[in-house]
Amino acid sequence: MTYTMNTEHDPLVIGGVRLASRFFLGTGRFPSPAVLQEALTASKAEVVTFAVRRVNLDFAEDDSVLQHFADRKLTYLPNTSGASSAEEAVRIARLARAAGLGNWIKVEISANPRTLLPDPIETLKATEQLAAEGFVVLPYTSDDPILCKRLEEAGAAAVMPGGAPIGSGLGILNPYNIGLIAEDANVPIIVDAGIGSAGDVVQAMELGADGILVNTPVAKAVDPVAMAYAIRLAVEAGRASYLAGRIPKRRYASASSEQAGVSPLSGSDPLSASALRQSEADAYAHEAAVTMAQNMRTHQSSPEALRGEEKGLV
Amino acid sequence: MGKPNITFRLYAITGENYHPGRSMVSVMEQAIRGGADIIQLRAKDTSKRELLAQAYALRELTRRYDVPLLINDHIDVALAAEADGVHLGQEDLPLAEARRILGEDRIIGISTHNIAQALEAQAGGADYIGVGPVYPTGTKPGRQAVTTDYVREAAAQVRIPFVAIGGITLDNVDAVLEAGATRICAVSAIVGSDQPAETARAFKQRIRAYNAHGASASSLKQVLINGRQEWTDAVTIAGLVEQYGLGAKRIVVELNGVILAREAWLHTSVDEGAKLELVHFVGGG
Repeated sequence: MTYTMNTEHDPLVIGGVRLASRFFLGTGRFPSPAVLQEALTASKAEVVTFAVRRVNLDFAEDDSVLQHFADRKLTYLPNTSGASSAEEAVRIARLARAAGLGNWIKVEISANPRTLLPDPIETLKATEQLAAEGFVVLPYTSDDPILCKRLEEAGAAAVMPGGAPIGSGLGILNPYNIGLIAEDANVPIIVDAGIGSAGDVVQAMELGADGILVNTPVAKAVDPVAMAYAIRLAVEAGRASYLAGRIPKRRYASASSEQAGVSPLSGSDPLSASALRQSEADAYAHEAAVTMAQNMRTHQSSPEALRGEEKGLV
Repeated sequence: MGKPNITFRLYAITGENYHPGRSMVSVMEQAIRGGADIIQLRAKDTSKRELLAQAYALRELTRRYDVPLLINDHIDVALAAEADGVHLGQEDLPLAEARRILGEDRIIGISTHNIAQALEAQAGGADYIGVGPVYPTGTKPGRQAVTTDYVREAAAQVRIPFVAIGGITLDNVDAVLEAGATRICAVSAIVGSDQPAETARAFKQRIRAYNAHGASASSLKQVLINGRQEWTDAVTIAGLVEQYGLGAKRIVVELNGVILAREAWLHTSVDEGAKLELVHFVGGG
């Protein structure tokens, strides 16, 4: 029998929307609308992000990204990019909602043009206000565990910590923080920004992220469609690995082949039983030190599993 | 029937060699949709049979959009295809003869390259004149450009409609308008564009803007759209959005800082000094 992951029993629910895919795809910077289309198909993403911008008055036909999605069933996640204050973000969110494509909003407030790092104070303010106005708010934020908690309390439907600055492809710079954030959250955690390729995605998911939002690594890959596919597999692999539960890290080897019954070559001196026992003991001694339980957080619906894992660690 | 009125502002001329792979009718339709309000069929190296076939096709198109159709040089083709008139060069049939054949109900336009020719055409009963080529152009190779100096002279002295022509693009149209032209003709800039409708719309907007400066009694209002000074005669927001070809697009309008629901566009007037933001969705992460 072949094993298949049952996503039916592992859905991601945000703002009342049940998502089968944990891959959110950004739509910027693709080489062409056709490539974007193909990448979107390959990604199986169900949530797409885009930006709100002024219409080009001279060339209205170089138009709206939306025309390319007309025949797909997607959840739209417009962002507030370009905003540098809560006030500006709220305005952009309202403009986006007025387009009539739902009430999801990715709060993105950058205060520094070089790093594009999110302004935590303004992000928190905007999240509070937009949640009060009935938006499904997904704030893009820095990977600070306390801030992420505060955003959750402010009414965020999901929190989106960055792995590294937008478009940098540096990967998960602080896995410890991302792990803590995921562990403590009562809302889904979507790792947004900084991912470079499928490997980073697996890491994010194994750390306990509920999903990832990727744009540049796909759009600017040598083959965007192939990368969309690779990241889709990485999301699934990382999620499955996280749920499967990794083994603790140990300092020394632990034989995967049964020790007993090794048939020695006559005259040789096989590893003594006492030496074997010693290596096992060393391994356990080091275990607590080296295992920084990257993914203590289990799926929220099973707190028992979480406790179980904690027990296993001690 | 009476002569069609010639209130045109943006005059588009066919140029099949500028759009290989696309049909003349579809390109001209785009131009009309973008705001070209008079069309001339010009095809120098085409057989008369072929020209007639093109004239029939454009006649059908221009009737549908209620836009005048003129034929370059060929009075017989104009008559056969029931075009609205002809456009003649200095070496073509003289104006008086053309008028005798075509009658008073048809439009006759004359190409002029200096003020003497312009005044002669005016005196001879031309309905409008072409003033050009303002810039060197591929459609009239070898002809000396008359520059905006002649546009300036024409603006000062010619009393019938004149249209500036020759090498005019979105990059240099402002200088032509600055010199006093109120009507612009473009060939390659429009029909050679990947997006003839959008290019035509951009031309129209520039023309509208300059005309507004000159005509204080006009119904044009100055508004700020997406941070740009624009002139419009639109009465409602719905009309304004339509002028930019955005009526069918999923855009959001913010008027003086307040989002305006689509349902309200029809009932909201465009006032002088209004500040508008027109936004839509673009790719983003």
